[in-house]
Amino acid sequence: MKKMLAVLLSVFMVLSLTAIAEEAVEITLWTFPVGGWSKSEVVDEILANFNEVHPNIKVTVQYLDYQSGDDQVTAAIEAGTTPDIIMEGPERLVTNWGAAGKMLDLAELWTEEAQADINAKSPAIVSACKSPDGVFYEYPLCMTTHTMTINKQYFEQADALKYLDEETRTWTTDDFVSACRALRDAGFIPGIVYCGGHGGDQGTRALAMNLYSAKFTNPEHTAYTMDSEEGIKGLTLLQDMVKEGALQADPAIVAGDEIALFCNGTAAMSFCWNAGAAETNKASLADNVTSFPMAFPSDDGVPELCGGIWGFGIFDNKDEAKAKAAVEFIRFVCDDVEQGPKSVYATSFFPVRESFGDIYAGTDKEDRAEFAIFLPFLGDYYNVTSGWTVQRAEWWNLLQRIFAGGDVAAEVAVYIENSNASIK
Amino acid sequence: MQISSKHSMRMARRRENISGYLFMAPSLLFFIGFVIFPMGMCLVTSFFNYTMMDFSFIGLKNYSEMFADSVFIKSLVNTIVIVVVSVPITCVFSLWVASLIYKMKDVYTSFFRCVFYLPVVTGSVAVTVVWKWIFNNYYGLLNYVAKNLGLISTNVNWIGNSNTALGCIIMILLTTSVGQPIVLYTSALSNVDKSLIEAAQVDGATNLQTFWYIKWPQIMYTTLYILIITTINSFQCFALIQLLTSGGPNYSTSTIMYYIYYNAFKLSRYGYGSAMGIFLAAIIAIFSALQFKVAKTDNG
Repeated sequence: MKKMLAVLLSVFMVLSLTAIAEEAVEITLWTFPVGGWSKSEVVDEILANFNEVHPNIKVTVQYLDYQSGDDQVTAAIEAGTTPDIIMEGPERLVTNWGAAGKMLDLAELWTEEAQADINAKSPAIVSACKSPDGVFYEYPLCMTTHTMTINKQYFEQADALKYLDEETRTWTTDDFVSACRALRDAGFIPGIVYCGGHGGDQGTRALAMNLYSAKFTNPEHTAYTMDSEEGIKGLTLLQDMVKEGALQADPAIVAGDEIALFCNGTAAMSFCWNAGAAETNKASLADNVTSFPMAFPSDDGVPELCGGIWGFGIFDNKDEAKAKAAVEFIRFVCDDVEQGPKSVYATSFFPVRESFGDIYAGTDKEDRAEFAIFLPFLGDYYNVTSGWTVQRAEWWNLLQRIFAGGDVAAEVAVYIENSNASIK
Repeated sequence: MQISSKHSMRMARRRENISGYLFMAPSLLFFIGFVIFPMGMCLVTSFFNYTMMDFSFIGLKNYSEMFADSVFIKSLVNTIVIVVVSVPITCVFSLWVASLIYKMKDVYTSFFRCVFYLPVVTGSVAVTVVWKWIFNNYYGLLNYVAKNLGLISTNVNWIGNSNTALGCIIMILLTTSVGQPIVLYTSALSNVDKSLIEAAQVDGATNLQTFWYIKWPQIMYTTLYILIITTINSFQCFALIQLLTSGGPNYSTSTIMYYIYYNAFKLSRYGYGSAMGIFLAAIIAIFSALQFKVAKTDNG
């Protein structure tokens, strides 16, 4: 009788354990438009692959955009309805929500192997994903360098191709000025420095910084430093170029508008470009536009490009089961030997893991390789500096004031004072 | 006998009151839940340093900071300019259009009402996209027309210039604001007692006298309603600015509503945003009370 009871009890316990192991978990994923991760058909395929391995974890996806995505997340944080997983970059995951104590530590995912593999690609990626006190709030999937692009046809017509190094995709500040003047004289709008806000600031920042090799922040990321001699010189050059018509400045347009003006042939260059933008806008290029991505011009011909590092963070929703499921999802999407490269391929950017190698070779996106040339120019990922949101708004206002004729040094001083005051 | 009759009357009144409250209950619940409660929360949080990381009582500090904040002052001035310019123009223009179309055949009146009401029912995003194209610096319709008419020689960046941007916002606001007042005025003017108008005309009153002494007093309450609604809408101008200029260039189109949004959603300074919200609500209440007072005095 006792034996019988023991057997029954054991069977019951095993069944209970099986039931727990197979308990279905529903998690939510919010994703900003990181390349193809904005398209449901692409994400659905990734989810289907995930569910083959983890059939009990159901992932519901909500797609955000850069116009209203931040507002949606802010509202969700205050209402206590944040998603389990969110896909974006360190400036939001680490500097904003992580620093506010809303995200979970992802140390579990950052194994020694992962750190070594990602570090081999660039140590900047590893440091960008953790807070100053060493907590990892992002697990990265892909990265790129933000570039600019020119319309090769217009440059050819204006005899301005001689000002750029087509092989290395670099040019000097003097060459850039000469090219812009040649384009202006040939009747083209050389380029438009957009300053209407709403993201895309990496383009205008990289342009202003590189002209005279200025640093946007100090190496410790504790202060904004565009009030340096080099920073003021770069912004003054932009102001002068706008005055002489070698560039245009427009506070009424945002980065998306500027890209559209490049694609339809209105402007001869765009300052907001990368592998993702090239993929997204491929179909909208006018017949008289041949996009030729270039690094930002710099006085020494060695640019320092801003990086984009996108990955996942987990909101602290006080639900262990969901957090565990979220970790499983991220591990599968980013680290799985088969799925990892596919997940990166969907973004049109580059893997953060060195071991993934060239994922575009022999694929439909083989032309992405032209952006690989810019990866060695990846500069410091300073977007993790505290007060980033305030700084961003101040940056747009600074450009607007400068292009309205304000004194550059005085306006930069106001910008620096307000931005640094927001650092905590 | 008398006592019993009084008692039954009291009972009947109570029953009537109860059913009245029951009928009111659904909307009252919504009103309390979605208007009164958030307003109370807004008032309470305005005394706190309420951010993503902090919720500490700071008394009136948000209010004192507000008046020392140059961007807030600029936004306040812009808001007042929008109200002062757009409210009278909306009222006068609507009255003028309504007085022209209300006498027409029904089919024409309806046609014009539809035309002017269209921007009201069209989504603000769609309206903004169209206006953004009209004002576009590079291929906008306005620059094209103005250049062909010889009014300008080079393209003007209408919404990128701090001298013209606020004017553009007011202009768009006018197109979306006149629809409802026109419909209301058309209806109010149609309801003016015709016998009084005829009597005045028989007595030799001019058109202006007929309007001023006969029609105007009878459409006074409609005017009051339009004034208040237009004032509130103008004070709360937000979507247009968020979609078109983001308050720029250099805050030249920033309004209190936009600055509240900016502080609450971009900087996560909910307490500070709430303080500005309370201030805006107080201004709107004062303006509305003044309008009530003036209209009541004028109307006797």
